Amino acid sequence: MSYMFKQLSREWRFMLRQKYLLVLLGCAILISGFSVQSGLNEIEQQQQTIERLTAADEADRIDAQHKHDEFGMLAYYTFHLTYSAPSDLAFAALGERDIYPWKHRIKMLAIEGQIYESDTQNAELTQAGKIDFLFVISALSPLIIILLFHDLFANERNSGRYDLLVTTAKSPWALWGARGAIRFIAIFLCLMLPFYVGAWVSGTSLAAIGLVSFYCFIYLAFWALLSVYWGRNASSAPKVASGLIGIWVLFAFITPILGDLTINKFVHSPKGGDIVFAQREAVNDAWDLPKEVTMDAFTATYPEWKDHVAMQSMFEWKWYYAFQQVGDQIAASMSQEYRDAAKKKYQLAGYASLLSPPLLLQRILTHLAETDAVAAFKYEQQVRDFHRELRLFHYPFLFAQGEFNKGELANMPSFEKFIIEQQDDRNTDSAQSTNK
Amino acid sequence: MSENSSSTTPFAKIIIVAKDEWRYWLRSKLAISVLAIGLLLTLSSVIVTAINTMELSHTRHELQNDADQTFVDQPDRHPHRMVHYGHYAFRAPSPLSVLDPGVDAYTGNSIFLEGHRQNSAMFADQKQGTALTQLGSLTPAFIVQTLAPLLLILIGYSSVSRERESQTLTYLLSQGTSGFTLIAGKGLALMSVIGLILVPLTISALFSLHEGESVAAILGFILGYALYLTVWALLVLLFSSALSKNSESFTALALTWILLCVVMPRVASSTAITTVPAAGKLETDFAVIAELRKLGDGHNANDPAFAQIKASLLEKYNVDSIEQLPVNYRGVIAMTSEAKLTEVLNEFAEQRMQTVLAQTIVSRDFGWLSPMVAIRSLSMLTAGTSIETHHKFLREAEDLRFNFVQGLNKVHAERLTYQDDMNRNKDLDSSNKARVAAKNWQVLDDFAFAVDKPSLRLQRSAPAFLQLLAWIAVLIIAIRWVGKRLV
Amino acid sequence: MIEIDQAKAVIEASSLCVNIKNNPILKSLNFRVKAGEIYALLGGNGAGKSTTLKTLLGFNAPSSGSVKVDGKEVLEALNHVRKKTAYLPESATLYTHLTARENVKYFLSLADIEKTDAEIDQAFDRVALQTKARDRHMQTYSKGMRQKTAIALALLREAPIFLLDEPTSGLDPVAIDEFNQLVRELASGGATILMVTHDVYGACQVADRIGLLRDGELVGEFSAPQDGQIETEEVHAAFAQRGAA
Repeated sequence: MSYMFKQLSREWRFMLRQKYLLVLLGCAILISGFSVQSGLNEIEQQQQTIERLTAADEADRIDAQHKHDEFGMLAYYTFHLTYSAPSDLAFAALGERDIYPWKHRIKMLAIEGQIYESDTQNAELTQAGKIDFLFVISALSPLIIILLFHDLFANERNSGRYDLLVTTAKSPWALWGARGAIRFIAIFLCLMLPFYVGAWVSGTSLAAIGLVSFYCFIYLAFWALLSVYWGRNASSAPKVASGLIGIWVLFAFITPILGDLTINKFVHSPKGGDIVFAQREAVNDAWDLPKEVTMDAFTATYPEWKDHVAMQSMFEWKWYYAFQQVGDQIAASMSQEYRDAAKKKYQLAGYASLLSPPLLLQRILTHLAETDAVAAFKYEQQVRDFHRELRLFHYPFLFAQGEFNKGELANMPSFEKFIIEQQDDRNTDSAQSTNK
Repeated sequence: MSENSSSTTPFAKIIIVAKDEWRYWLRSKLAISVLAIGLLLTLSSVIVTAINTMELSHTRHELQNDADQTFVDQPDRHPHRMVHYGHYAFRAPSPLSVLDPGVDAYTGNSIFLEGHRQNSAMFADQKQGTALTQLGSLTPAFIVQTLAPLLLILIGYSSVSRERESQTLTYLLSQGTSGFTLIAGKGLALMSVIGLILVPLTISALFSLHEGESVAAILGFILGYALYLTVWALLVLLFSSALSKNSESFTALALTWILLCVVMPRVASSTAITTVPAAGKLETDFAVIAELRKLGDGHNANDPAFAQIKASLLEKYNVDSIEQLPVNYRGVIAMTSEAKLTEVLNEFAEQRMQTVLAQTIVSRDFGWLSPMVAIRSLSMLTAGTSIETHHKFLREAEDLRFNFVQGLNKVHAERLTYQDDMNRNKDLDSSNKARVAAKNWQVLDDFAFAVDKPSLRLQRSAPAFLQLLAWIAVLIIAIRWVGKRLV
Repeated sequence: MIEIDQAKAVIEASSLCVNIKNNPILKSLNFRVKAGEIYALLGGNGAGKSTTLKTLLGFNAPSSGSVKVDGKEVLEALNHVRKKTAYLPESATLYTHLTARENVKYFLSLADIEKTDAEIDQAFDRVALQTKARDRHMQTYSKGMRQKTAIALALLREAPIFLLDEPTSGLDPVAIDEFNQLVRELASGGATILMVTHDVYGACQVADRIGLLRDGELVGEFSAPQDGQIETEEVHAAFAQRGAA
């Protein structure tokens, strides 16, 4: 043990004397620190936005409920905030949250007309991409590792020291093992320390920290071993590094791009515009259609209101909301196809990323941080489910036309409550299934 | 390089050095494969992007025509129904987006236009993507901005340091070749590689002439890339001459590339987002709603907010009640409130766009620190695929929206009587009476989105040109300094 | 310090054949070096000198025949062989960003040998490395000083066998004399010394025996008379015969 420690401490002191290694390590810790810092900032901004939105949404809803008395009007003017809060790991992997919307304000109108609204950020900045910890690890760290490890042997060979070193060293492990290990430990710590600080700040669970450390370790070790292996017989360090950078370009750019081209060629998706178009046409045509056509289509889905569809006037709110729902029903299959295509693409991209370690790591970690497309799909489904809940709450008042008392509004579903209930359901479900 | 008599002019010597460098490349397996891969990538990116863009352009023009046709084909209706029926605007891609699609895939490319609302652009292509192209996509812009510098590094890192390591440098210098001549020759060789990279780009750009792009924009675009790659050639020469070993030169250049091409652009955008926080549309919409409440609801002509309009109308036509007005009071209210509402909406929209622009400018200022950031903005601005173009689209779509809505409101005020309008929900007959003929739907402006004039685009990219020129100037000074001390 | 049986050959190549990339470089090479002997393997460019040295160090595997150091087949007892040998490379470039002392300490630590500063200074004294240079970065060193540092390192290794690769190339005449003196001292202390060189005169000055290597074969051996040097003329004549062979 102390022998090993002696080897490591010698190589540690040796590394401290090599300026370019220190420059590399310094760059690594600076960039990683910056990425964690800006990730924390971004997440804090998102959380503050949610807080502000929740407050403003609440105030707006109370205001609308105060202002309007007619139930249909109330439903028309009451918005409901839906959002997906960032996880405690999101600071490290901002993921796709700048591409997929994570907040909406929806109301009783057709969901297909609302769900595609995206509150996107600055597109030009999104296109450049943000620097988050995940980017530093998946894309950048391989390059730093290549620069750290490629010349492990080549440099000594080129300077004519190789034979002397090998014949002097008590064992190859005492030399190359200790040298490689020290460089690896140093770069691992430089890259990970800012992450640990960030995780501590945002209260990330130990399990998540452990998993991230584990995946990062495997990933970095992969690149380190590849670099060492690639350079084992070489005497020209730049040639080794060129080859390794070539591999990096292949993994980071070429295979993903080819995967993307192939997947887009084979998975066909309806155009988003067509869904909205179909839904709009349906809703607008309804004004001119005989009321029964709309109501029949509506009661096909909700037969419980069969006996309440008769209308006294040319305009009634129940008919209005019925044709909103019918609009959704007409666009439903296309919309499902659209979502399925997106899921299918993401799933196939998973296979493609098996050929690209950087993207594989991105997928794993964004999944862990719930910032990937899957999380976005899940959020969209939650919004749809909540919209359904909302409609089911309103229908009795619209169709049964019993006495409506404003006090009933207290029972109106809210997205926050809805999410908690959904979670509880899942927990009891899983509890039941484990009992069985 | 051995032919070296005192009679040869400095320029001839430069040519000799450059030729020798090419001979070295052609004999080196690494250099020749790097060159071949680089050209192959550029070429395939040019072809793939050209095909994609042509498809997009075709689809969007078609969709725009369809939308126009569907609108005018609507049957007789109450005019306000058409206001809510709405219309679509599609952003046709700019001709030069075959080379740099810019923000195209990241912003929605269609907007649904309706009364009383400004919708955001929908269906950004990225959302229906595979998330595989986050690190880079097969566009000429990405390949040339990110990978071409790497190519120059891989073939050029040893251009001077190699001579030093094999001790031919002292030999060359002792024979009367000045350090500057040597570096200039190596530079000439690198410049010829740059020329080679730019060939596919130029050919593809020339095709966009056919799509109506101007010669000036194309020249600016290609010149921008030439300057950018020159910066990299100079960086390569500088490191290769200043550092004594091949491996040192390579490591330093690789690290420089990582910092300037991979790290900086992202640092720029992260910094921009943090320094200029932009509230999302959802959030500013609350402010809009609050402002709009003061204006009154245009659907409800009895809203007290309209009392003043009512009074002035009655006075103008010298009548006692709104029923006696020669115009449909509800139509007039719809028109007035739409105008006021649009003013508020535009004010907020303009604010939002200004914030986004301010953010973008912060990130573009990083061009002084990274030539990659400079060329990125230069390329998008010149090609007309930057955020400014998207804003232009938003503004024009808004004009289109406002004009057709007001056109319909005018029809509402003039072609439908107040009585018929008020009775519209009574029964089927009166509902049918409260309609106007379909021939009134010819209120759409012809909408064909086009990018800004080339002069404006070039003017916008002037700072980025300056950034690249500053890089070149500083690097040339540094190289001259190193060249004099070459040993 | 010296534990090797005097009578036994310390270095022994018998019918040694080595191929590099399928080219036969050493073709049935035979030679023996006894303890306390200075043996010079003399040969022109491409004769197989470096290959022989590298094979002794365990970098090349013999295709047939055997090569033994300290009585053990090199590749079978690699650690033992490397521990017993101190190798002096031709152009001894140690780490230029370290001082001579730091370099020596680093390499000694690699070999798991601990030496005090005083002991290191003693070694530097023996090779006559200027005191003021010892704590200076080796970047500024001349070739001779670098060579001296490497020799000091070899001394400090306390190995009984020395393998020297062109040890005097690039040294000035004074330094060569000093070096030869040192080598003789080592040998009389019982160390076994094998050097490879193309320098006929240098070899004759210091070696007890010279093996003439040509095209991977030993074509002649010359021994020094008691208390005398090998006849330079004779060796030179044999060495210059390359065209005739």
